[in-house]
Amino acid sequence: MVCGEEKMKKLSFRIWLWIVIIILALMSIFLSSNGFTLFQKGALITSVEHNSTSFEQGLRQGQIIVSINGNLINNAEDFLKYIQENFPAENDIKTTIKTKDAEVIIFSNQAPNITVSDIPKTSLKAGLDLAGGARALVQAEGKSLSSEEINDLVSITTNRFNVYGLSDVSVKPILDLSGNRFMSIEIAGATPKDLEELIENQGKFEAKIGNETVFIGGNRDISSVCRNDATCAYIETPQQSSDGNYYSTFRFSIYLSEEAAKRHADVTNKIEINSSNPEYLSEPLGLYVDDSLADTLLISKDLKGQVTTQISISGSGTGATEQDAYNDAKANMQKLQTILITGSLPYKLEIVKLDTISPLLGEDFLKYILLAGVAALIAASLIIFIRYRKIKQASFVVLISFSEVIIILGIAALIEWNLDLASIAGILATIGTGFDDQVVLLDESRNRATSSSLKERLKKAFAIIMGAYFVVLVSLLPLIWAGAGLLKGFAITTIIGISVGVFITRPAFSDILKRIEE
Amino acid sequence: MEEQQNQETHRKNWHDRHYKHLLIIPLVLLLFSLVYLGIFHSKNNDFFYKDISLTGGTSVTIYEKLNIEDLNSFLEGELSEVNLRKISDLISGEQVAIVVETTAESNEAREVLENYLGYELTEENSSFEFTGSSLSNAFYRQLIIALFVAFVFMAIVIFIIFKTPVPSGAVVLAAFADIIMTLVTVNILGIKMSSAGIISLLMLIGYSVDTDILLTNRVLRRHEGTLNEKLMGSVKTGLTMTLTSLVAVTVALLVVKSFSETLNQIFTILLIGLIFDMLNTWITNVSILKWYVERKK
Repeated sequence: MVCGEEKMKKLSFRIWLWIVIIILALMSIFLSSNGFTLFQKGALITSVEHNSTSFEQGLRQGQIIVSINGNLINNAEDFLKYIQENFPAENDIKTTIKTKDAEVIIFSNQAPNITVSDIPKTSLKAGLDLAGGARALVQAEGKSLSSEEINDLVSITTNRFNVYGLSDVSVKPILDLSGNRFMSIEIAGATPKDLEELIENQGKFEAKIGNETVFIGGNRDISSVCRNDATCAYIETPQQSSDGNYYSTFRFSIYLSEEAAKRHADVTNKIEINSSNPEYLSEPLGLYVDDSLADTLLISKDLKGQVTTQISISGSGTGATEQDAYNDAKANMQKLQTILITGSLPYKLEIVKLDTISPLLGEDFLKYILLAGVAALIAASLIIFIRYRKIKQASFVVLISFSEVIIILGIAALIEWNLDLASIAGILATIGTGFDDQVVLLDESRNRATSSSLKERLKKAFAIIMGAYFVVLVSLLPLIWAGAGLLKGFAITTIIGISVGVFITRPAFSDILKRIEE
Repeated sequence: MEEQQNQETHRKNWHDRHYKHLLIIPLVLLLFSLVYLGIFHSKNNDFFYKDISLTGGTSVTIYEKLNIEDLNSFLEGELSEVNLRKISDLISGEQVAIVVETTAESNEAREVLENYLGYELTEENSSFEFTGSSLSNAFYRQLIIALFVAFVFMAIVIFIIFKTPVPSGAVVLAAFADIIMTLVTVNILGIKMSSAGIISLLMLIGYSVDTDILLTNRVLRRHEGTLNEKLMGSVKTGLTMTLTSLVAVTVALLVVKSFSETLNQIFTILLIGLIFDMLNTWITNVSILKWYVERKK
């Protein structure tokens, strides 16, 4: 017992730090918002259509379905099989869906409007080239975009994807080394068939009252939309409503062309004033983006039959606090402004890179990469063992390298880094330099020819290791920006990897060596 | 035991006499490489062959067992600069997919391939990767700049670490020779470089320089032992380092060879580079360093 305690005392700070970080990394890899899912069975809901019965009954993205009408669901396939066999039904049927924490009952003859996937066993996210999906790099045709223009384009495109019902999309502006700006679009999983059209489409916006189109997006009908100008686009001070929540109203002006204004007058002239809400007309103005309704606006009674080029568009936001209500209103205003501008995208887009990767081989691929990694690790450690003939040292070299991979993966899970092929190449590069560094430490620790102490020798080894570290670090920096960010994965993973090595695992290894040698 | 030691002293003596002559080997190789690259550049207007990730074009992976010869003869004349490759299962060796590379645009490639197959290519049965030529040109230029900048940064760090010009220059020269010789070998083998290939040249900077740093650090900063003892110690450590990397890369290469062209190219170039690294560290760098230390005495 005393002996044991003494051993515990000897574990240095650096070894403790290493152990703690490994544990944190493991937690980051294996714990998700659904808890520990490594052995969890079921199907994960990846999306629920808004306003559907499933949504109303409380099914949400991220929940885990464990059974349906008493049939156990082990994976996504089980769920899809059950749905295929039972829907569409002739009459409404009762379907009881049990999720991990709740039970939902749906009466319908149609399949629930949800999509599911297998439950990810870890929080690691595979990149596009492994998990499948689509990636596009977009530039304006024959025009270089300013940073404001590209940001506008990104928000317009993001908004469009949302309107189209695609939510698992990441749209980002990218600046490369030569100052070119791109918009990058990444879609995980299934690729929409008309992706190209969807991206390049300049957008169709229509404002309708009833069935009649009043004006459409684009500078033919809307001459301008007021944005970022407090005199014509503002958010009112939030007010508290009777239920305790706050609400805030925003207003901004849009300017119609003469022609559109006339049309507006003609259409509104025919509409009655709403009897239950006499401030407004009985028919609202519907904003449609590519034929789907994005928003509706009430029309003030004063506008009936008037030829006005300036229309004030208003809406509101709500929230539990004043700030929340304000922010919500601001977001809604931006969304609406974006929709109105969408039609007036002033340039044509060109897809300069488009990858659509089938998820088919992804799993095999991961298997091979894992195999390659393990095989390489075993082979390299065999060399270490043959050279030093010390099983203890050799196994610690392997253990340290292995822990490095875990820590890198933990960080990747934490910062939600998508592990693509380039990142995996980076991890392999890290293991390589890690091994090299450990050989340097091992050799120094065993160098008995000199009179200097073990501590001094290890310190000397660290001088070499730090030198090599800085060389790799600076040589990777240009890659972060080169090539429209497509190689960022490699650069970032390697930088994380070698930094973890130099600041966490190598110091721990050096202390372990001290313990072994002493 | 004694015999071994005698042998060792003998070897050291041999090295003492001939280390300057040894320099001729890497120098001749480097000179040949530079001339070769010069001629290559005047012929191809570039320093290496580029694949479609750097010239622009489409790569289509079709997940089916297609006859490669048959497809090739069909595609000839239909698509520009077609290149076909099989992907096969590591264990069974069975073909799982075929990769078609062409400089044509993705819609054109899709149409031609669908004509041949007689069915639609969807995300269920295929992957498409298209890069426009303007983007890949920009890509290529930037990667070359990145490589160049990385090299310069490396050289600066080396000069900061060692401060003295000759030993620092030797390290930088060794890294330079390493990259040039690897590049020439890649060209001779007819490998078409992808962006991953350029990355591996960049990785090579790191791998190549760490043994050089080890060597220079031990020789210049250590005060115990003779020069030859320090050199010998460095050789032992350094060769173990390179050998572990070499073995790991070779094993990884064997596993991914039939599967991923990207990783295949990275590992192939690293393998070639590591072999030249041994030459350039243990002959080029050692000889220059020894010469430098001997002269200073």
